[in-house]
Formats: sequence, structure tokens, C-alpha cells
Amino acid sequence: MLATIFTNPILVPGWLTLWLLIPLIVVVAVVYKTIRTENVKKLPVEIIKLTIYMLGGLALLGFAVWLIVKIFQ
Amino acid sequence: MSDSTQKPTKNWLLAGLLAWILPGAGHFYLGRKTRGIILFISLSLAFWSGIAIGGVMTADKVYEPMWTYSQNLIGSYGGLCWYRQDKVYKEIAAEPDIKELFRQGSLQHKVIIHPSKSGRPDELQMRVDKELAKRNIAAVYPGASIARAYAGVAGLLNLLCIFDAIILAMMNAKPDPDEKTQSAEPGKSSTTKDESAE
Repeated sequence: MLATIFTNPILVPGWLTLWLLIPLIVVVAVVYKTIRTENVKKLPVEIIKLTIYMLGGLALLGFAVWLIVKIFQ
Repeated sequence: MSDSTQKPTKNWLLAGLLAWILPGAGHFYLGRKTRGIILFISLSLAFWSGIAIGGVMTADKVYEPMWTYSQNLIGSYGGLCWYRQDKVYKEIAAEPDIKELFRQGSLQHKVIIHPSKSGRPDELQMRVDKELAKRNIAAVYPGASIARAYAGVAGLLNLLCIFDAIILAMMNAKPDPDEKTQSAEPGKSSTTKDESAE
């Protein structure tokens, strides 16, 4: 398993696809805030805030798209 | 945060180059060690998670050149992935029947795999795809898309870090206030912009 970890792909079940978006969002928030925040001590709070904003925004966007599809279907 | 009147003490080119080679190295060089470590851990985790999910064929340099370029925005990691993928292609090219297909000259492509002009996979390409599947290294949906997103986004985020490191070096930015406080002698004032503003 360990020998093939970066060679052979891991089979990802379909239902997990959407959930794997969360770690990616966290990484984006961490990198962005690490660059932008002036005080490193405030970093954890800033990261959490940005992660929530992004997740909320994407959830709203997803809901809006779902609604449009439902209406015009 | 910065003092533009002073001559830059750090080389912006070196800062950018270090940031490209290893995520966070540019910030570390500029004395922003905490940020450098955070960037290194987060970007490395994202990149290698992507490669772990997608395997060696995460971003095929022939099929997905843009994702490959994105990966290569982290120089050392992207280079390593490029090298490993190249090695796989060379191994596959050494297979007798593939070698024969390639020798026949039915394809005048410079690369071993290439979609035909009609957009449909040609014989050689299909044979190579079959070989990748046989070796269990072919990237498959949906894992492949996720893997590309992880590794590609990590590369693009590193581009942000490269620009930041270059700009900070050009602006002669001081190291993080917290790190200055640690190195300062106890009892001596080391108030920062943020702290004084508060």
C-alpha cells in the first residue's frame, strides 16, 4: 500500500467527491490569510472566518443552481 | 510594515526562486518563518494529497498541459511528478507492440500519446491507455478530477506566495513582529503596527 501510494490512484467513491471540497477550501483560506493577515496571532480566527464565508457562499450558490434547475426542469 | 526609503536588504529574485522551488521558502528567507512553515505544510499537504488520490498520472502532461503547468508552479514537487510520469511513459514505450506501433510511423507526433487530429484516440493512444489501466495507474473519474484540483490549486496558490515573496523583498518588508519580539531582549519595547494601533 505505502509503496504504491503516490503511483497508483486511490478509488474515491462518488459520494465523497463533494466532501473533499472542504479540505481544499481550508487550504485556500490558510494560504490566503497567511499572506494577507498582518498579525500572525490573529491567523486562526481569520482562517475560520474565511472558511465559513467560502463554504456559506458555495452552499448558497449550490442552492441557487439547484433551485434554477428545479424551476426550469 | 515596509520601509520603501531603505535599500532592499533581501534579493527579490532569490526570494521568488526559493518560493517557487519549495512552498514557504521565500517567506522563510525573508524572515517570516512562521508564515513560511504554515505555507509549506498547507501547500505540501494539498499537493501530495492530490498526487496520492490521482497517482502518477494525476495531470497527464499530454492531455492536461494546463494542470501540469499549474503543478509545476511548485518547482520541486512538480518536477518530481514530471520526472516520474516521464519514466512511466518511457517504460510503456519500451513495450514491444507499442514500440512497433510507434515505429510504423502512423503517427507523426513528437510525443508518444496524442489525440489524433479528428479528436478521436488513435491506435497507439488506445494501446497506451490500455497499458496504463493494466498497470493500475490510469487516472479514473472522479478521483482524477479531485486529484488534479488539489495538486493544481496548490500550485496556483504557490504562485500567489511567489508574488508575495517578491513584493515583500522589493518593499524591504520587515520580518514578522512576533518573530522580532522573540529575538528582542526582554524588557525592550518591540511594539508593532498592529499592537500600537490596538
